[in-house]
Formats: sequence, structure tokens, C-alpha cells
Amino acid sequence: MMYARYGADDRVERPLRLIRRAVALGRDLRWPATGALVAAVVATVARLAGPLVVRTGVDEGIRVADPGVVTRASILYLALLVVQYGTSRAAMYAVTLVGERYLRRLRVVVYRHLMGLDLGFFGRTKSGVLVSRMTSDMEALTTFADEGAISVLTSVLTVLGVGVGLFVTDPGLAWLVMALLPLLVAASLVFRRYADRAYRQVREQIGLVLGALQEGISGVRVVQAYTQEPGQQERFGRVNERYYEANLQAARAISTYFPAVDLLRTVGTAIVLFVGGGRVLDGTLTFGSLIAFLLYLNWFFEPIVQLSNVYNLAQGALAALSKLFGLLDRTPAVVEAADPRPLPEPVRGELVFDGVTFGYDPDVPVVRGLDLRVAPGSRVAVVGETGAGKSTLAKLAVRFYDPQEGRVLLDGIDLRDIGFVSLRRHVALVPQEGFLFDGSLRYNIAYARPEMSDEEVWEVCRTLGIDDWVRSLPERLDTDVRERGGRLSSGERQLVSLARALAADPALIVLDEATSNLDPESEAQVERALGVLLEGRTAIVIAHRLRTAERADRVVVMDAGRVVEDGTFAELVAAGGAFTHLRSVWEQAESVWGDGGGGSSGR
Amino acid sequence: MTTRRLGDASVRRGLRLIFRMLFRYRREAVASVLFALGWMVMTVAGPFLQKVVIDRAIVGERRDLLAPLVGAVLAVGAGRALGIAGRRYFAFRVSYRAETDLRNRIFEHIQRLTFSYHDRTATGELMARASSDLSQVRLIYAMLPITVANVVMFGVVGGLLVALDPVLGAVALAAIPALLGLAVVYARVVLETSFEVQERLADMATVVQEGVGGIRVTKAFGREMAEVARVEAVADGIFAKTMQLIGKRAAYVPVFELIPSAAAVAVLWIGGLRVIGGAMTLGDFVAFSQYMVILVFPLRITGFFFAELPRAAAAASRVVELLRTAPDIVDAPDAGPMPPGNGEVRFCHVGFSYPDGPPVLEDVDLRIPAGSAVAVVGSTGSGKTTLAYLVPRFYDPSRGQVLIDGVDVRRIRLDDLRSAVAVVFEEPFLFSATIRDNIAFGAPDAGDDQVRLAARLAQAHDFIVELPDGYDTVVGERGLSLSGGQRQRIALARAMIRDPRVLILDDATSSVDAVTEAEIRDALRTVMAGRTTIIIAHRVSTLALAEKVVLIDEGRVLATGTHRELLASVPRYREVLAEVSPGEEVAP
Ligand SMILES: Nc1ncnc2c1ncn2[C@@H]1O[C@H](COP(=O)(O)OP(=O)(O)OP(=O)(O)O)[C@@H](O)[C@H]1O
Ligand SMILES: Nc1ncnc2c1ncn2[C@@H]1O[C@H](COP(=O)(O)OP(=O)(O)OP(=O)(O)O)[C@@H](O)[C@H]1O
Ligand SMILES: [Mg+2]
Ligand SMILES: [Mg+2]
Repeated sequence: MMYARYGADDRVERPLRLIRRAVALGRDLRWPATGALVAAVVATVARLAGPLVVRTGVDEGIRVADPGVVTRASILYLALLVVQYGTSRAAMYAVTLVGERYLRRLRVVVYRHLMGLDLGFFGRTKSGVLVSRMTSDMEALTTFADEGAISVLTSVLTVLGVGVGLFVTDPGLAWLVMALLPLLVAASLVFRRYADRAYRQVREQIGLVLGALQEGISGVRVVQAYTQEPGQQERFGRVNERYYEANLQAARAISTYFPAVDLLRTVGTAIVLFVGGGRVLDGTLTFGSLIAFLLYLNWFFEPIVQLSNVYNLAQGALAALSKLFGLLDRTPAVVEAADPRPLPEPVRGELVFDGVTFGYDPDVPVVRGLDLRVAPGSRVAVVGETGAGKSTLAKLAVRFYDPQEGRVLLDGIDLRDIGFVSLRRHVALVPQEGFLFDGSLRYNIAYARPEMSDEEVWEVCRTLGIDDWVRSLPERLDTDVRERGGRLSSGERQLVSLARALAADPALIVLDEATSNLDPESEAQVERALGVLLEGRTAIVIAHRLRTAERADRVVVMDAGRVVEDGTFAELVAAGGAFTHLRSVWEQAESVWGDGGGGSSGR
Repeated sequence: MTTRRLGDASVRRGLRLIFRMLFRYRREAVASVLFALGWMVMTVAGPFLQKVVIDRAIVGERRDLLAPLVGAVLAVGAGRALGIAGRRYFAFRVSYRAETDLRNRIFEHIQRLTFSYHDRTATGELMARASSDLSQVRLIYAMLPITVANVVMFGVVGGLLVALDPVLGAVALAAIPALLGLAVVYARVVLETSFEVQERLADMATVVQEGVGGIRVTKAFGREMAEVARVEAVADGIFAKTMQLIGKRAAYVPVFELIPSAAAVAVLWIGGLRVIGGAMTLGDFVAFSQYMVILVFPLRITGFFFAELPRAAAAASRVVELLRTAPDIVDAPDAGPMPPGNGEVRFCHVGFSYPDGPPVLEDVDLRIPAGSAVAVVGSTGSGKTTLAYLVPRFYDPSRGQVLIDGVDVRRIRLDDLRSAVAVVFEEPFLFSATIRDNIAFGAPDAGDDQVRLAARLAQAHDFIVELPDGYDTVVGERGLSLSGGQRQRIALARAMIRDPRVLILDDATSSVDAVTEAEIRDALRTVMAGRTTIIIAHRVSTLALAEKVVLIDEGRVLATGTHRELLASVPRYREVLAEVSPGEEVAP
């Protein structure tokens, strides 16, 4: 139970529909499932036949002093045990086989669906929640399959079988015992009410605990830098304590219910002893029947207790199922067209924004009525204040999101009509929030095209000017960059991200502040490399640096979600608008000889 | 993966931890065991009473004894129910208490472990310690009381059985060692495989975490199917290992149920013949059968307990390993408060290398006068961040010393040191909390005014008030619902509110546009007055904030001086700033 259950856990609606749906997903597993069922039934019958054999042995063997019957009964019992062993073993194996096959499928189906969801969804959902869908929710199902499914089956069978056995042995006594059932049902219902609430609490609290834990670990550096360890511990302690309280609440329910059931069993035994014993004395009941009855009685209550035990597992499994299907029911906001078109080769890389309006929250547009044409093979720099919507534009250009109004066109085709494979093949984005996978440098660089040879990977490194650096690493391309690239400096991480994008060999590349952490020297080198690599390709470069704007064929100035200026560097400088101001700030900022104080460049 | 046995030193340490926690909650533990023993006595007394009912009242035809004896059965049953209630409740208390406490301790410890530990330890790994490993350990606490009672019960019932009939008793008792022996064999057979299953499950968490964390990259390159294939591979692994495990389990587990039944057969056969032969009463026979039934469940539980114990001990040993990992940066015994002063920072011949890498800093010698601002410049990977991290002791230098106001930072209490030194990290990490909480993170007692002031200084106030909930807006995980520049400014505000003696800005405005940066710079001039500031930056504009520039190259301070001095006299400086000669910069 790695991440246990995470996030809010609503009451499960319509469990029957859920179950039907779950069953539908595993329809082809019905034969092994039937096998498991048959084996379990046989095993239970074999087990239940035991006391009957004992009764025969006692009544027809021991009481009438016939050793032959005793021996035969014993051998029969032994034979039943062998059958029981074989069928139990088969049932266990088959149930797990069915369950694990099913789960394997479910894991892949759910994850495939997850990967197909849009980034808006990922932005709204905590990663821990998604991890728990794929781990603890699946494990709740495993646990139920392994410990619950068979248990439910055998318990139900046992209760039924024992019920029949009781009536066959002596209907009068059987009715008396059955009179206890309403009490048992009532107790179980009360228990159910408390346990439901308690377990829901438990599931909710464990989610909070794990969430706090995860953030406490991933944010540990900030915590230490700001000496907030005590505060964090206290906060975590509180969440943890609430989880304890929730567990204790559940424990109280359990510690009341199980003794109550046990007491009922004793009452049953007492009734059987008193009434049955009296009847044996009266001669209306055989002694063997009484003994068989007592044996059966144990078996009657045991499975009911078992069922209550399993109830919690079943509840957890249902909650997990409803969350998993909830995830599967989510339709991605960005979907591939029904009849996707491939981009006509060769891809020229002409990108057009046509009256695009978009907001992460549709009511709050971040990009408003954006018109922009990026000529094939050109390099466009996008500049503007932070929060102006530059990254948003970048995300729209690669169809991370679909605009609420307007269209984005690549080579004249609406992005929404282009097949995903074709689109991703020809368009690459280096997101502002770089991310490296925990793995080797090679894995990260060749991420888009794993079939790349080592030579090709080195070639990319060479062009980007990082081959010397890679060679200086202890294990070169095999160096493990660790979680999120933690083994590297921030600039090195950006270089690797760039290498990854260039290795993808796209026709249109969008660089969202992909060099913001680089020193000017490395940046210049990257720029040169891009000049070579991007020859004939379209590039959108977002950056806060003057040089980027200077080197671009065109500069686009964004403000509050709009393009406010658009033209070549020289044009914009001449225009005397927002860009002119920006440039003067830049000049001050970047003019190396200006010592930060002066205006334009000069000695 | 190494096989762990109960004899291993680390596993023994795990067991010791389990017992230490048990000792801490001994009151509840003892209560639970006492209730369990009570339950056990009543459980054993039950069949004995039944035997009396049958022998005395029914076979002995004493109808008058029937009612009182059955009454006794009921009384014993009530006692038994009470025993179960107490046993369960207190066992739960111990187990959850122990789990909760251990989790707190793990969290506390994780918070104390230093950067170098977290550098090499994956998040998922630590999560596993505090979740699945602890569940494993908890199970033992939950089962311990009943196991104690069960073991005692085996003795008592064994004695009873032997007293009832020595021959049959011996036969029935054979089930006990057989079961326990089987449990041990079983544990050995399945342990390794069940570890492997556990590992595969942990892999799943790691792979999914990575896949979700890197979703932007995955989407950008259309590699979703490759990620699915990764999950598929892990899912296949889980499937294969689980089937391997169930192959073994299915062979053994039914035997646990069968051994008691086999004993029942023996009782029927041998006992039946002995009753016929007159060596035993019918009541004895019934009691025998009943005892066999009683023993079934305890025998199974005990077998299960011993099968789980090694796993729990292994889990506990992993927890111990974590708890025993001493943080490599702690207060020296003679550590004192911050020395008086205005924050003069000195690096004296400092050398540093990460555990698995070449030296990053070779011999850094540098003095930053109190209250002054120094910019650190160097190419990517030259060790600027590393150098900055030595001041608040995120790492300790391998050679040389770092001094603040003349005192080695290792002689200053960590809390005091870090309260006096505020770092703005190059990659801002925001918590998924409100913006206010994020800004006030380092000063939880700060009032709204202070939060706003800090936000204003960082040029963040304006955009914050435009957000739907203003300062109460909850930012998404890692702050990803904000733009890059917005995140950085929140992180900046977080440092401002600390009012530190030494302020370290590690590329803190890299994602901020030039205009906003100019505003931040103006604000910083005020903020920096009277404090020592170390600015790591690549932009000349930011360098302008500093009176002096330090050029780091190949692990050394290559040059110090004003920006103009370095430009004029240090070719390497011009290279790092990508400046060939003035005037060329405007050329396309
Ligand atoms: N995932 C998101 N959910 C909600 N709002 C968002 C999200 N990402 C960005 N925003 C908001 O949209 C606006 C534009 O953000 P965007 O990231 O496009 O800015 P930007 O121009 O790239 O800024 P910067 O230069 O700081 O990176 C900002 O106000 C930001 O808070
Ligand atoms: N946790 C770590 N473990 C091992 N090596 C590391 C670790 N962090 C950084 N390094 C290595 O140490 C060197 C210096 O890294 P550092 O982060 O100090 O560079 P930097 O000067 O800040 O670079 P940047 O300008 O890119 O941020 C780099 O080569 C980097 O690969
Ligand atoms: Mg951005
Ligand atoms: Mg750095």
C-alpha cells in the first residue's frame, strides 16, 4: 500500500452499476473465473461434509460400538481433505490469475487513458492523487481479489451449506438458531453504518497524510533554508494525529461488533445445549445430531464474522473502482480528430494564430483575440512582461490546450485536424519548467527518438557544444541525472532539455525561456548551434533578453494576452512604441559597457 | 536485492525497534495481552463446560443440572466477548499509536537530513518508509497480543488434551509443531518473492510519479505511448511475480487449514476406537473435537504471525536504517549564536566536491565586506550555486572554512545561521498553499502588512491582487498555475520577509522580464542597504546591483573587481559575458 488512498473519497454511487461495468471489462476472463468458482464450491462442499461424516462415525460407529464404521468414516474424511486441498489450491491460484490478469489490464487501460488527458487536467490534479490511482487503488482491488473474493464466496456458500446442514440435522433446533439471525443482522447494520463513516474518514485522512509527506519531502530544501522544520513537523504531526483518531474510530466499531457477534454465537450454543440436551434426554434427538449441531454452529458464525471482515475490503475496492472509472470517464479536453490528417510532407512550418482567445479558466481569458503569422523557416522572438501570456501562446502552438475561440494553423491545417503522431513528430516545445527524467543522460536526450544511436546523441551534444562537458562526467552518457535532474546545475539541465528538443529534429520548435539560466557565453553558443540546427526550420523563441530579439527575423511584443507590436527589430525600434521602451531598458540592462548606469552602449 | 533473514544484524535492529516502541506503549500492550489471556481462558473453558454439560447432564441424565450448567456456558461466553473487545481495542491502540509515532519520527528525521542525503534519495523511497513499511510493522503490533495468548493457549489446551487422554492428546498436539514448522518453511519460501512483488509495486509508484511529473515533456514529444509501455512493463513484472508468489502460496496456505482437520480425523479415528474400547468417555471425545476446532483459528493466526514477522522486521530495519542515518550537518557541541556584526562573509581556501563527482570548488578565497553586495559570475556548472550553498551550511566544505563576521559557520547554531541567511533558490519551489502562506513561509507570524510589503518589494503585489482570490489564491502543485516570472517573484518576497543579515539571490530573476526586473532592482537597492548580498546572475543589469563582481572559474576565484575593471582587464570575464568587443552587440 504505497500511496494508500488519496484525496476525497465520496460515497460510492450505485455500486451495482459499478460492479457490472467492472465485470464487463473482464468478460474474456470468464472461463478461468468459472474454474475458480467451481473449485471453490467443491472445496467448500468438501469442508462442509466433514461434520456429517463425523456424525455418521459417532452415531453409527462409536455409539453402537462398530469400529469398522469409525475407520471407514475416518478414511472418507481423509479423502475429503485431499479433495479439499486440491480444490482450495486450484481455487486460490485461479482467483489470483483472474484478478491479476484483470488488474494488469486495468493498469494499462487507466494509464493509457491518463496519458491521453489534457494538460489542463494535469494542472488541476495533484500528482499524488494520480499516483494513488495507479497504486493504492489498484492494490485495494488486489487485496479484495486475493483475500476478499474467495472469502465472500466460501463464506456465503458455507452459511448456506451450514444452514442446510442445520435443517437436515434437526429442523426444530435449526429454527431456534435462526431466531438469532435478526439480531445478527441488526448488529451488522449498525456496524456497517459506523464502519462506513469511520473507514471513509480513514481513507480521507491517509490521503492528507501522504500529501503532506510528499510535499514535506519535495520541499525539504526550502523548509531547511527557512528553518521551518518545527512548523512543518507540527503541521505534519497534526495531520498524522487526525489519521490516528480516524483509525481509532474504526477500531472502536470493530472492537464492539466482533465481540457482539461472538456473544451471539455463545447464545446459540447455549440454546442448542439446553434445548437439544433436553431433547436428547427425552430421546427425540440423537446424540450424534447434537454434536454435529454444535460443530455446525461454529461454522455458521465464523463465515458471518468473515464477511464483516471482508466488508471493509469490499468497501475499499468499490471506492477504488468508482475513482478509477471516474478517471476513465474523464474525456480529454484535447482530443485527436475523428479523421486526423497527417501534415503534408515536407512540413514547411508555417504557424498561424487566427483570432485566438484562450483562458485556463474559460471565464478569465489569458490570450485575447490573438492574430499572428509565423512564416515558414523564420525565427520569431516573443517578448513581453511576465504573465503577459507568452508561455500560454507557446502551449497553444503545440496544442497543449485548444483555444476557446479562433484557430491555430500549421501549414494551413487547423492543429485540431492534425493527427497526434504527425503533430508531435514535427513540433517540439521546450517548456519553461524544464523536467528531466530520473535516468541516464542518453535516455533524456534521446527521449523523443529512443532509436537514436550513440553516435547521433554525441552529434547533438557536439553541435550544442556540450560534448566536452558530457565527456567530463564520470559516466558520460550513462550518468544518472537523478530525480528531476537534481544531479546537474540549473544551466546544465537547460542544456540537456535543449539537446532533447534538437534531437527530436522538428520542423517547428518553440523555446520557452529555454536558456534563461545559462551564462551569456553558453547562451551565445546555443544561439550559434540553433542557427545551424534550425536552418530552414521555424522557431518561436521566448526570452527576456535583448540578444534574442536582435537575432530574430521578427519580434512580437505581447501584453495582457494580446500582440501589441509586431515587426522586425529595426521596425519596432523605429516605431517608438512599447518595444522602444523595452529596448532602452534592455540596453541599460545588457549593455556590458554601460555599467548598468548609462544609457545606450558605448565606452 | 539481498535476502534478509531474521539473523541479519539490520533485521535484528528492526526487531529491536519494534520492541522499543512496544515498551513505550507497554500499558496498552499489557492491557491487550491481559484481555487476550482472559479471552483465551474463556475460550478454553467453553468446550470444557460443554463437556461437563454433555457428560454430567445429558449422558448422566441429570436434567436439573442442565439449566445451571448452560448458564455457566453463557457467563463464560460473555467473558469471552469482553476479552475479545479489550484485546482488539488495545491492540489497535498500540499498533496505530506506534505507527503514528514512527511516522512522526520519520518525518522529523527527513526534515533534518541534509541536502546531500536528499540528493541521492528518491522521494518515492522515503514515501515507502513512511507508508508501506510502517503498515507492515503495524501488523505485528496488532497481532502480538493474540499471538501471545495463542501460544499460552497451545500449552493449556495441550495440557488439557493430554490430561483428558494422553494418547489422543499426543496425536492432536502433533498438529501444533507441524503447523509452526510449516509456518517457518512457508515464510522462507515466499519471503523473497513477496519482497520482489513489493518492489515491483514500489516501481509502479515511481514510474507513474515520473510519468505524471514529466507529462509536459512527454506530451511535447508525443511520447505518451512510450510512457504507457513503461507502465506496461512494470505491470507485466507485477503480474509475473505475483503469479510466482501465488504458485507458492497456493501450495502452502491450504495446508494451514488442513493440518487441524487432519488432527480432527485422527481424533475421530483413534478417539472413536478408544471410546468403543472403553478407554475414553463420549464427553471426552466431544470435548476433544471441540478443542480441535478451537485450535484451528489460533493455529492459523500464529502461523501467519510467524510468516509475517520476518517481513515486518525487514520493513522495520529499513525504517531503522533511515532513522540511524545521521544528518551530516548538525550543530557543533560548542556552537553559539550568530556573532555580532553586519554580515561579513569570508571564504578561506574553500574546496568542495559532491560525493560522486570531481571537485567543484578547488580553492576559493574571497571576502565579502559587511553590508556590501557582490555578484558572482561564472559559466554554467562552474559552482556558483554550490558556493552559495556553503554559507547557510546546506553543505560543508571539504576543505577550508566559511566565516560570517569572523566566525566559522560550523560554530554557529544552524537555526540562528539560517535565520540570518536567506536564500532565493534558482528554481522557485512553491507549496500548494495560498500565496500568503507561501510568502509568509519563513515568517509564519508575519502580519498582512508585512506580507504585502514583501510582495511589493518583489514587484509581486500588482499581479497578486489581480488573481481571482488575491493573496488567498491557492497555487497548484509546485506553483505551476503561475507564470515563471510570477513564481520567482513570490520566492523573492518569501526571502524579503525574513529580513536577513545575508541575502543570497541565486539567479532569482532569470524568468523576469527586463522592465519588471528593473523595478525589482530599484526595490532591491533599498532592501540591500545594510545587508550583505550575494547575487548570482548572468545579466549585466543584475550585476549593476553589486559593488564588486567575482568571477568563478574552474573552482577558483579568477578575478574580483568592479564590473568595468574586469571587463577591461580579464579576457575570461568578457568571454563569460559573451562580449567580444563593444559595438558588435547590435549586429545581428
Ligand atoms: N496552468 C495555469 N492555470 C491557471 N492560470 C495560469 C496557468 N498558467 C499560467 N496562468 C496564468 O496565465 C497568465 C499568463 O501566464 P503565462 O505563463 O502565459 O505568462 P508568461 O508571459 O509566460 O510569463 P513569464 O514571463 O513570467 O513566464 C498568468 O497570469 C498566469 O498566472
Ligand atoms: N547534487 C549534486 N551532486 C553531484 N553533482 C552536482 C550536484 N549539484 C551540482 N553538481 C555539479 O556540480 C557542478 C557545479 O554545480 P552548480 O549548481 O554549483 O553550478 P552553477 O555554477 O550554479 O551553474 P548554473 O549557472 O548552471 O546554475 C556542476 O557540474 C554540477 O553538475
Ligand atoms: Mg512563461
Ligand atoms: Mg546555479
